[in-house]
Amino acid sequence: MTAQSLRGQLLRQLLPPIAALLALATVIAYYPTIEPATAAYDQALIDVGLALGDRIEYNDGKYSLDLPRAAERMLRTDRYDSIYFHVSAPDGAHIAGDEGMPTPPADETPADHVIAYNGTYAGKDVRVMAVMVPCNGRRCMVQVAETTYKRQRLLRYIVLSSLVPTVLIALATLMIVWFGVKRSLEPLDQLSDEIKARSPRDLRPVDAAVAPEEAKPLVGALNALLQEVAEANLNQQRFLANAAHQLRTPLAGLQAHTELAMAQPVPEACRSELEQVHLATVRTARLANQLLALARAEPGGGISAGLGPVELRQVVEGAADEWVHRAMARDLDLGFDLMDVRVYGDAFLLREALANLVHNSLEYTPAGGHVTVRTSVQGLDHRPVLEVEDEGPGIPPAERERVLERFYRAPGTGGTGSGLGLAIVREIAAVHGAKVEIGDPREGGHGCRVTLIFPPAGQRPSANER
Amino acid sequence: MRILIVEDDAAVAGGVARILESEGFAVDSVARGEQAVLAATQERFDLVILDVGLPGMDGFEVLRRLRSQAEGVPVLLLTGRDAVDDRVHGLDLGADDYVAKPFAVSEVAARVRALIRRSQAHAGPKVVHGPLTLDTVARRAFLNDAPLELAGREWAVLEVLLAKVERVVSKDAIIQAVANWGEELSLNAIEVYVSRLRAKLEPAGIRIRTVRGFGYMLEDYKEK
Repeated sequence: MTAQSLRGQLLRQLLPPIAALLALATVIAYYPTIEPATAAYDQALIDVGLALGDRIEYNDGKYSLDLPRAAERMLRTDRYDSIYFHVSAPDGAHIAGDEGMPTPPADETPADHVIAYNGTYAGKDVRVMAVMVPCNGRRCMVQVAETTYKRQRLLRYIVLSSLVPTVLIALATLMIVWFGVKRSLEPLDQLSDEIKARSPRDLRPVDAAVAPEEAKPLVGALNALLQEVAEANLNQQRFLANAAHQLRTPLAGLQAHTELAMAQPVPEACRSELEQVHLATVRTARLANQLLALARAEPGGGISAGLGPVELRQVVEGAADEWVHRAMARDLDLGFDLMDVRVYGDAFLLREALANLVHNSLEYTPAGGHVTVRTSVQGLDHRPVLEVEDEGPGIPPAERERVLERFYRAPGTGGTGSGLGLAIVREIAAVHGAKVEIGDPREGGHGCRVTLIFPPAGQRPSANER
Repeated sequence: MRILIVEDDAAVAGGVARILESEGFAVDSVARGEQAVLAATQERFDLVILDVGLPGMDGFEVLRRLRSQAEGVPVLLLTGRDAVDDRVHGLDLGADDYVAKPFAVSEVAARVRALIRRSQAHAGPKVVHGPLTLDTVARRAFLNDAPLELAGREWAVLEVLLAKVERVVSKDAIIQAVANWGEELSLNAIEVYVSRLRAKLEPAGIRIRTVRGFGYMLEDYKEK
C-alpha cells in the first residue's frame, strides 16, 4: 500500500458527496420556485386572451374582432418581450391577429379551457396560451404568444440566486475541512518534529499527551519500542561493565606477575622472553580498554544519561597526573596550555579521546621531546578546541584521513599501537558534533597536532550527529 | 605496617601482596567483602586495598561499612570498570585514592606509600620526606637534622606539595591553599616560592618537578 496524505485522502473522499449534495440542493430549490414564477407570466397571457375573447363579435354569419388601434398597441407593449396574438373562429378560420402561430398539441385536452405550450414564431422561442372563449354559442380560440426573454431572465435569476449561496457553502465546507484537518494533524507534526530532533541516545518515551486520540496507539507502540531499546541498552551497559571487570582483572594479575618476575634475578635468555610477555600483556590490556571505550561511544553504549556541560579544563586536569608519570618514565616534557572552555558532551568519553591522543603522542615522540595538551577557542564563533601536539614523526597529509579508520596504521609506524586510538577519537568527536583535524605543529617543525573542534559554545550537537 | 587486600582474583591479590611484602609491609588478603568488613573490625590495619568488583557484597558496600566502623583507615580502590564512574562514586563514599586495572604493581606500591605517609602526617605532628622533616606543631623544618629556614609562604607551598607527593598539583590549587582571605597571589609569585624551595631542597636530593603550563610535583624521595 502506498502512503497517502491523510488530508488529500479526506478531501478526495469528501469532495464528490459534497458536490452531489449541493447539486441536489440546487435542483430541489429550483423547481418549487420556478413553477409559481412562470405561472404568473402564463396567467398574464391568459388574461390577455380572455380580454380579447370578449371583443369577438358575430354579425351576419361573420366573426370579427373589435379591437381599437390604441388598445392593440397597449396589448402589444411589453418592456422586454414581443407579444403576438391570433383569434380564430370555431372552424379554425382566421378572424384577426398574427397569422401562422404554432398550433396547440393535438392530444392536449384544454384545462380550464386553456392550453399552454411552447413553440417558435418568427424564428423565436415563444410561450403560447390558447384560450377557448365562447362566441355565438360555440368556441373560438384566442392564442396569445410571448417571446421567452423575461422567462429566461427569471430562470437565470432564480438559478443564480440559489446557486451562489450553495457554492459559497461548498467552498466554506472545503476550507473548513482543509484547515480542520491541518489543525487536527498539527499534534502529529509536532510529534514528528520532536522525534526528528532527537539524538539517537535519547530514549525517553515520547509525550503521548500532545498526540491526538487516534495517534495514541502509534505513540504507545513507539514508546514500547523505545523502552525495549533502552532496556537492551541497559543490558549492554551492564554487560560492558562486567566484561570490562572480567577482562581487566586477569590482565591486571598477569601484568603484576610479569612485572614481579622481571624484578627477580632471572637468566638473560629468560629475561627477554619475559619482557615480550610483559609487553604483550600491556598491549592486550590497552586494546581491551580501547574496545570497551569504542563500545561505550556507540549509541546505547552507556551514555544514556545524555550529554551535559563539561569543562574541558577539568577533563584535562583530572587525568594530567596519570599522563605526567607516563611522560616522565619516557623522559618527555608533557606540558599544558589550558583555557577555561566548556563544551556540551560526556566527560568520560572526552577523557577517553584525550587519553588516546596523549598516549599516541607519548608513544611516538622521541625522548627529550615536548608534548602539549591545549584547550582554547578558535574562529569568530569561538569554537571550543581540544588539541594535542607532539614532536614525533607526524602523519603525512596523504595518510591523515585514513589513520582515523579503525585498525588502520600508517605504513612504517613503529610502536605498539592497535590502530584503534584515532578511530576512537573520531567516534567520540562525532558524538559531540566535533571535527577532527590532523595537522602540523602550530610552531612549525616536525610533529603531529590533532585538534578536536567542537560546535560553538552553548550549541548542542545536532540530532544527526553520526 | 599492616595492609589488608580485598580482592577475589588470586593473581592480582598475590601480585600486589608480593610487591608490598618486598617493601616491608605485612599483608593480609581476603577474597570476599564480608570477610573484609569482619577483619577490619577485629584488627587494626594501616591501609585497605579494595577491589570494587567483588562477588557478593561489592567494594562500594564494603567501603560504606568500613567508613561507618573503622573510620580513618586509608582506602585505595582498585577498579576494573570504567574508571570515571567508579572513581567519582568511590571518592564520594570516602575512598582516598584509586587505581584502574590493569595497573603496574610499582604504581600501586607508590600509591600505598603516599597514602600511608599522608595518614601518618595527619596522625602525628611530624611530616617526613627523605632527609626533610617538618614539625607542623613547632613549625620548624629540618634537613639532614640541621634546622632549615623557611619563610611563611615557602612553608605553606611545601606543605601543599608534601601532602601530595608524586601527584601533580596545579598552580591554582597551590594559590587556593596558600593565599589568605582577600589577597591576590599571582602565578608568578608561586613560581618564585617554588624556585626558592628548590634552591634549599635540591642539594639534599629532594626534587620538585615543573609540569609545564600546569603546576608542580614533589617527587618521591629515592635513596642514592
